[in-house]
Amino acid sequence: MKKIISFILAGVVALYLSMSVAFSAANEVRVAFFLEWATPNQEDKVKQTFDKALGVPVKWTNFATGGEMTEAMLSGDIDISYSQGLTPFVNAVNAKAAIKLVDIAVIYGMGGTTCVAAKGIDKGNASSKLDGQKVAVPLGTMADYVFKETMRVVGADISKMKVVDMNPEDGSAAFVNGDVAMACLFGGKSIKAAKEKGASLLTVKEAQDAGIAGIDITSVTNKFLKENPGMVRTFVEVTHEANARYNSGKSDMNVIAKDAAMDLAGTKKQMGGFEFINAAKMKSNYMNKGGILMTYLEVMGNMFATSENPALKNYSKVVDTSYLPN
Amino acid sequence: MITGILTFVIIFAIIGSILYGQRLIKTEKSDAVFGNPERAKGGVHWVIVGTSFLIFTWLYYSWDIAKAFYPKSANELCQVAKVNESLLSLKYLFPIEERSHKSTALIKRENINISDKITEIQNSPGLKKQDKEKFVNLLNKTRQTIPLLTSEKYIEEETKNIINELTNRISQLTENFSKDTYPRPLSDEEENKRIKETKKQLGWGATGMEVPPLPESKVGLKFHAAAQELNSVSDEFFAMRNHHPEYLQLLKEIRDEIKEYKNSLNDDQELEMTYIKEIKKLGQRIEYESVFPPNALDKMEKAIRAFDKVQKKEQGATRIKDMLLFPGGTIVASGPTCAEDGPGRWLPKPSDTFRIFGDLLKPSVGFKMIPMIWYEMMGVNRIVGFFLPDWIADIMPGKYPVHNSEGKVEPNFKSKVLDIVTGEFEAFKIPVPTGHIWDSFLRVFLGLTLGIIFGVPLGIFMGLNRFAKGFFDPLVELYRPVPPLAWAPLVITVFGIDNVGKIFLLFMVSFSIMIISARAGASGTQLSKIHAAHSLGASRWQIIREVIFPNSLPEILTGVRVAVGMCWGTLVAAEFLAGTTGIGFVENVARKYMQYEVIWITIFVMGMLGLLFDVTIRKIIDKTIPWRGKG
Repeated sequence: MKKIISFILAGVVALYLSMSVAFSAANEVRVAFFLEWATPNQEDKVKQTFDKALGVPVKWTNFATGGEMTEAMLSGDIDISYSQGLTPFVNAVNAKAAIKLVDIAVIYGMGGTTCVAAKGIDKGNASSKLDGQKVAVPLGTMADYVFKETMRVVGADISKMKVVDMNPEDGSAAFVNGDVAMACLFGGKSIKAAKEKGASLLTVKEAQDAGIAGIDITSVTNKFLKENPGMVRTFVEVTHEANARYNSGKSDMNVIAKDAAMDLAGTKKQMGGFEFINAAKMKSNYMNKGGILMTYLEVMGNMFATSENPALKNYSKVVDTSYLPN
Repeated sequence: MITGILTFVIIFAIIGSILYGQRLIKTEKSDAVFGNPERAKGGVHWVIVGTSFLIFTWLYYSWDIAKAFYPKSANELCQVAKVNESLLSLKYLFPIEERSHKSTALIKRENINISDKITEIQNSPGLKKQDKEKFVNLLNKTRQTIPLLTSEKYIEEETKNIINELTNRISQLTENFSKDTYPRPLSDEEENKRIKETKKQLGWGATGMEVPPLPESKVGLKFHAAAQELNSVSDEFFAMRNHHPEYLQLLKEIRDEIKEYKNSLNDDQELEMTYIKEIKKLGQRIEYESVFPPNALDKMEKAIRAFDKVQKKEQGATRIKDMLLFPGGTIVASGPTCAEDGPGRWLPKPSDTFRIFGDLLKPSVGFKMIPMIWYEMMGVNRIVGFFLPDWIADIMPGKYPVHNSEGKVEPNFKSKVLDIVTGEFEAFKIPVPTGHIWDSFLRVFLGLTLGIIFGVPLGIFMGLNRFAKGFFDPLVELYRPVPPLAWAPLVITVFGIDNVGKIFLLFMVSFSIMIISARAGASGTQLSKIHAAHSLGASRWQIIREVIFPNSLPEILTGVRVAVGMCWGTLVAAEFLAGTTGIGFVENVARKYMQYEVIWITIFVMGMLGLLFDVTIRKIIDKTIPWRGKG
């Protein structure tokens, strides 16, 4: 009996100790990123420019969705999430996660995230043809947002569809098999595979006109921001240098393609749909009061709010522009 | 309120049961039979201790006990957290929570980086000798900038003054902080406004409000005010740069040299370009950081430590509550808002969990517009249409009707049969269950039943027949050891994302287990029993039915129990992969929206359903094989 009690007590103590927060100096920076999502700074990732600029090793980990990035940040395994979708970020801050938005990574049209519908379904007849059909959507990601917005544009009723929660790779496979009538996807390979059996419901231009755009951002844990503000600044700076290099056409596309796990043509096509804006434009058009990003945050915040995690009243608290290069 | 009462009930239950159990142990000591299985019977009091302990752990680690007894503590801790947060950046400069000064760690690291870079450049085969010299020279110059930052000589009066002023502000705050008059009272108008806003604020754990951020108590107000002051100190400190003109001069020299060199480079000299950029970055990195002479900030460090001590003392009872009632974490602040960090975040409070579970169970709410478990009215025609195969109509005599010249279609006997087998007729409706829980349950049930129906006969056959054993053994043994989930992507591609695929996956799981157990049971039958039956004139079929099957039942039913567990595990993962309904789907979606309450509810429901299955099978075992384990 005494043994049992002492065993239980020891267990409780061990649990207590293991859960206490441990402080550690930044001996490495742990960054989350996506595969099949080509960005200029992947050249610097391969050439270790980040490691050299930050002065400490940078550990890159790839994730399947932005939500998983948040989970890893909250458990203390990731410091910086590069190119996290705005949707998972909004979900995280609605749930009071201690992370902040410091930079816009990618702005993309529907080329990067899109809803591909089966042959015979176009934006004219989608509202009737999708009724009662199954659609594959990775819930809680940017593709979820694009799905909701696209359905609004074509006038289809989401509540009449059967939404299947699938990651882009699975969703595109199910679409090719004919299991679902439409798949909302992100990632080069997945979209390419799906387009062999169907077409995007909205063209890039149509989506743009309807005000649908994707924004990927860089988010950092509050702890890391407080501890290593200089490193965050350097990280953002190197990224912006890479973007400037890409915009002037000097990026090494082969390196980027290889690191993104895509072929060269696919990478070029994908990045053709991306926009990498400079810090000045971010500050004047996107991250200022009433700017594009702030509007998006508010719209999405309300779109994905739940009763336990309602939308924030003011999203400017989670955006910090002071790490952008001058 | 309920939580509070529950806590006391649990504590009494645990103590009472343990005392009762102790007494029983004493009486048991007198009965000297060693290893009597009857002793393991009864013992409800230990069940009470076990479950109570579990619930208590849950209440404690989810901080529900703290919330029940001190509902205002989260608000106070939030104010404390604000102070801690505002101090954090300053604290990181000193060996308070780290091992060394931040400046020390930085200089150590950069010195190593510079030396490494020099070695790298000198060993680089692609560089010309003069470039190497140039780079090394630049790096050495960069190294020379460090003493300009760390020497007492090069610290400017103005910088010193700012440090002193900030230090004084912290000391002043420390002094005022313990006084009752701090913070100075607001004007009546402001005070009224504050009270009004505080009253509007929701309580801890109310829907959509994790931790109320505005200070509600006097202690809270104090910490709130201090946090604001410290934030401004911190901001001013980090806006300041310890850059002596000589440092800036040297930095400019290096910059100019780099610029000049860069301009002299051709487009094809990429290697040189990369190196020169790296050298520039190195200098920049040192420039960005707040590096100070070793003793310049001593007074400030002292002031911060002193304040830390005072603020810890001022926390008073709150600090003890934090230590005792907030295990594994605490409330953290992020700017003006606060949140639970630690188990309070990912382990929802029992009260919240049950409230949300109640909401989810409402058929009109459900999860993603589908109820958890409810019923819907379904016509009998649809059920008939599902079970009767359509080809029955095809084999009926005659032909399907053809439209006549008047443009009408006259139904005949064959088309009427077709209507029946496809369920195209009017019929009364009966209620059938529906919803996430039912869907998961049905999948497991069907997969398991199919596995038993096909697996048991095949297993017995394999146990008795040499051909069957030899023929099926390699097939079964090849697919059985593969983890069921490894089949999942394939099964979902072949059978689709609907129920068929998932049920087939579960069938594969239960099928192999049933074969193994039935086979073991059949081949384990004692030969003497078979001989006895045979000599009494039993036929072959009778022997299988009356002797071998009952003999293998214990093994088969144990197999069923194992299969249930495996099926649950596989089902949830299969629903993760492609979900439209089901418990696994609910959990996966809840995870994406960080609804920890819902995640725990799904885990709870799965545990309950698994238990339900197991209890049912245990009952069946007791009914059908009462002789098991009795010789």
